[in-house]
Amino acid sequence: MANLSLKHIYKVYPNGVKAVNDFTMDIEDKEFIVFVGPSGCGKSTTLRMIAGLEDITAGELTIGDLVVNDMEPKDRDIAMVFQNYALYPHMTVYENIAFGLKLRKMPREEVNRRVLEAAEILGITDYLGRKPKEMSGGQRQRVSLGRAIVREPKVMLLDEPLSNLDAKLRTQMRTEIAKLHNKLGTTFIYVTHDQIEAMTMGTRIVVMKDGYVQQIDTPKNLYNYPGNKFVAGFIGTPQMNFFEGTLKKTGDNVEIAFKNTDSRVTVPYSYFYKTRPSYLNGKAEVIIGLRAEDLSLDRDEVEKSNAKIKVKISHKEELGNETLVYGDINMEGDGFGDSPTRVIIKSTAEVEYVPGDVVEAALNLDRVHLFDSKTEVSILPRVPEFNYLDCSVKGGVLSFLGQNLKLPSAIQCEDCTGELLIPTNAIKLGGTIAANVISSETVCGQKLLALELGGRRIYATTDQDVTEGFVNISIDMKRLTILKDDEEIVQPLPEIVSFDGSFKKIKVVDDVPETEEERAKRLAKKNASPEEEPVLTKRKKVVRFLLNIEGTDFPVSEEIAQKLITALTVKRVFDKAYRYECTPYDIKFADAGIEAECVGIADYGAEKFAKCKVGEKEIYVKLCDGAPEPAGKVYLAPEIEKLSIIQADMDIRLV
Amino acid sequence: MATKTKKKYRSKKAVERGTNIAIYIILVIISVVWLFPYLFLILQSLRGEPGATTNYFFPKQWTFGNYIRLFQNKGIKMANDGSTFVATTGQYNFLRWYGNTLLIAIVVTVVQTVIVVATSYALSRLRFRMRKPLMNLMLILGMFPGIMSMTALYFLLELIGLTQKMSILGLILVYVGSSCMGYYVCKGFFDTIPRSLDEAARIDGANRQTVFFKVILPLSKPIIIYTILTAFLGPWGDYMFASLLTMGQPDYWNVAVGLRDMIQRESLANWQDGFQRFCAAAVIVSLPITILFFILQRYYVEGVTGGSVKG
Repeated sequence: MANLSLKHIYKVYPNGVKAVNDFTMDIEDKEFIVFVGPSGCGKSTTLRMIAGLEDITAGELTIGDLVVNDMEPKDRDIAMVFQNYALYPHMTVYENIAFGLKLRKMPREEVNRRVLEAAEILGITDYLGRKPKEMSGGQRQRVSLGRAIVREPKVMLLDEPLSNLDAKLRTQMRTEIAKLHNKLGTTFIYVTHDQIEAMTMGTRIVVMKDGYVQQIDTPKNLYNYPGNKFVAGFIGTPQMNFFEGTLKKTGDNVEIAFKNTDSRVTVPYSYFYKTRPSYLNGKAEVIIGLRAEDLSLDRDEVEKSNAKIKVKISHKEELGNETLVYGDINMEGDGFGDSPTRVIIKSTAEVEYVPGDVVEAALNLDRVHLFDSKTEVSILPRVPEFNYLDCSVKGGVLSFLGQNLKLPSAIQCEDCTGELLIPTNAIKLGGTIAANVISSETVCGQKLLALELGGRRIYATTDQDVTEGFVNISIDMKRLTILKDDEEIVQPLPEIVSFDGSFKKIKVVDDVPETEEERAKRLAKKNASPEEEPVLTKRKKVVRFLLNIEGTDFPVSEEIAQKLITALTVKRVFDKAYRYECTPYDIKFADAGIEAECVGIADYGAEKFAKCKVGEKEIYVKLCDGAPEPAGKVYLAPEIEKLSIIQADMDIRLV
Repeated sequence: MATKTKKKYRSKKAVERGTNIAIYIILVIISVVWLFPYLFLILQSLRGEPGATTNYFFPKQWTFGNYIRLFQNKGIKMANDGSTFVATTGQYNFLRWYGNTLLIAIVVTVVQTVIVVATSYALSRLRFRMRKPLMNLMLILGMFPGIMSMTALYFLLELIGLTQKMSILGLILVYVGSSCMGYYVCKGFFDTIPRSLDEAARIDGANRQTVFFKVILPLSKPIIIYTILTAFLGPWGDYMFASLLTMGQPDYWNVAVGLRDMIQRESLANWQDGFQRFCAAAVIVSLPITILFFILQRYYVEGVTGGSVKG
C-alpha cells in the first residue's frame, strides 16, 4: 500500500519514437487509477515502466518514498496481471499462485495459507490441482489475479486483464475486480482501451492519446467537463455529437449558429464568463458538442424548448430499452458518415421513427460543450486560465471593473482602451481590492473561487479555504497582459528564462580524496583511529561533467550527469543541443558566469527585475531586496540544481 | 432444372474417398522405396550364405554369425614398414570404433545442447547492441560447408597436437566449435514462448537464471530433444573430419571411417562374408539413433505450452 508519483516521465525508443511524453501524476494510496486511450497511446508502456519491465528514459518514478527508476521489478513490491494471463503452463494452479512466494523463500505453511486464502477469495479452490490448459479463460484470469494478490503487493498493475474475455464474463470480472480492490485496499493501476471499464471502475481516469496525457480526473468530471474534443469524444457511448459553428455575442445573449444549416439558438452570456471574448465575435469557428442524451425528440420537450434544431432522420439502432436515432442537421446529409452534421439522439423505445422524416430536436444547452476548432481545447474550461476583461489606461492608471490601479514603472503603456488578461492564479488573497466570493469549488486539488467584482464574475485559484462573502484581493501586476486590437501592448514578465547550450565531459588531473573503503583498509592496516589519521588525497585523472550554458561552462553533479547519460546513452549524450530553463528567481549575479549586459530595471513595486541581454536574448533576473542595481556588463550564474534540462530537438525534459 | 443441379454436384464423401485412395497409393509407394534399402540391409546382415551378392532377395540360410564375427576380431595388424597402413588380414576393431564414436557423440551432444540452448535464449530474449548483425553473421557463416575449413582446421589442430592419437579430443573440439551456429531453429522456438511469461516470473521475484531454468526450460522439451538428436547425429555419422584427423591411426577411427575402410579393404570377391559383416555393422550403427528417437519422441511431438496464454 503506497503512494505513487510520476514526475515528467518520458519513454523514447532507440529509433526516436516517443511513446510517452511528460507524464506527471500523483497517485494516492488505495486509489483505483485507470489509464485509458486508443491503441498505441502509451498507456501500456507507462504501466510497464511502473512495473520495471521497460526502462524510463527520463523523469522520476517514486513508489512510497523510494525512487525506483533503477530498481528490478522484483524489488519494487508490485504485482501485475497480464492481458494474456501469462500463467506458467507446466505448473498447476497451486504452483502458479505459490511461485512468487516460493521464490521469496516463504515458509511452506505460510505459502499454503496464502494460496488457499487467495483461492477462496477468487473462488478457484476446486481447481488448485489443475493445469492452466484445463481451465477456461475466466478461470485462468482468476488464477492470474490470485498470483498477484497472494504476494500482498504495494501496487497492483493490471494490463487489459479483461480484453480476452467474452462480454458477459467481462462484466462479471469487472465487478469482481472492483470488489477485490475494496477488500484489499491496495493501490490499483488498470490499463484498458474500453471506456466503459474505465468509467465503471476507476476512482480517477487518465485519458491518453499519442503518448500525451489528455486529462486526469474522476469519471464524472471527465464526462461532464471534458478538457478537449478528444476526451469528449472518447468518453461516453454513443460518442458525443460534434457540430461546427460560430458564437456571436449580442447584448446579454450569445447566439450559436450551426454550420450547414440555418438553425440558430440563443443562450445567456453568463455561460461564457470563462470564455475568451474573441470566440464570441461571430467569426471564430468553434466545435459545438452535445451528448446524445442532451438532445430530445420528445414532443412535449420540443414544444417547451426554445433551443431547437431540425434533424433529418436517416436510420436507428434499437437497443431494447431505448433507441438511438441517427440523423443529419444538414438536410442534404445522409446521417451515416462521421460528418460534422451527423447527429445521434437517445430516445425512448416506444416511439417509431421513419427514416427520411424531418423532425425537430430540443437541445439541452445547460450541457453544451464548446471547443476551439483548431486546437480542439475546450473554450468553456472548468478552471479558466485567464479572466478576460475590458479595460482602459489613462495617465499610467489601469481601470477595469470599476477599479483604478496605478501601473508600476515596469509597465509602460500609452493611454488606450483594450482587453485585460489576468491569469486566474495571478489574483491573490490579501490586498486592497474588495471582492465578493460567490462560490468556491475544489477542482483537481486546488480551489477555484468565483468572485464578483464591479458587477462581473471573475475567477481565481488558491490553495486556501475561503468562505463565501467579501474578501480582499490583490493582482500580481507582473503577470498582466493588455491587448489593443488583438495586439499585445503590455506583456507579462516571462516566467521562464531559457538558455541554450551543450553538455560535455572533460578529463582533468585533480587531487581526489581516498574512498571510504580505501581509508578503512588503510586504518585497519595501521591500526589507527579515524580521528588521528588525516584523509589522504591522490592526484588522479578524473572525469568531470560540464554544462555549457551560452558559452560558459558550469560544473554539474555526477547525479545530474548520469540522468542525462541514462536517457540518451553515452554515444549520443554529448553531441545533442540542450535548452536550460529556470525562473528569474533562480539566477544570481556573480563575478564570473554568463556574460550579459544589463539594459534596464523592471520595477513592479514589490519586486524588481534586472533586464539583461545575453547575445540577442532578453532575460529577466530577480534583484534581491536592497541590492545595488546593476548596470553595464554583468555575469549571471544560474543555480545548476534548479535548472530544468531539456534535450532541444526532441523536447525531452531530462532533469 | 433440378436434374441439372444434380449433375453438377458429386458426393463430397465420394470425392474424399477417391482422394484418400490416391494419397495412400502414393504414400505406400514412397514407403516401399524408402524402406527397401533398410530391409535389404537387415536381410543381408542375417544371410548365412557366402559371397558378396546373390540373385535372390531373402536369404536361404539365416544366421547371427555375421554379428558375432564382427565383434570377435580384435586389433588391426600394421604393415612392417610402419609408415603407412596396409590392409593385410581383414582384421579390424569394430568395438573400439564404436566406443570412440559413442564417446565423441555423447560429449558433443551434452556440450552442444548446452551451448545452443543458451545462445538461442540469449538471442531470443536479450536485447543488446550488435545482436542482429551477430545473428546474420552466424547464419551466413553457418551456410558455408564445414569442409571448406577442413584443411585450415587440420593444421591448427596439428599445431596444438590434437590429431592422430589425440584426435578424439580434436574431433570433439571441431564438432562443438561451430555448434552455436545452429541457434536458428531453437531461437525460433523460444520466440514462440510468450515474453509475458518471463515478465510475469521477473515480477514474481525471479532473476534471469531462475526464469530460464524454472520457466523456459520446462517448456522447451521438444526443442531440447531436437537439439540433442541433431547434436548426436552430426559426430555419429561424420566421415570427412574423422578420416582426416585420424589418418593412419585405425585405433582412433570412428564407425564411419571404419566401415568405409571395411568395404574398401575387403575386396568383396576375396572375402566370403565381408559384405554381410558390413551390413551387420551398419545395422548396429543405426541402433543408438533409433533407440534415442524412440525414447525421446513423446516429448518431441507433444507441445507443452497449452494454456499459458490466451490462444
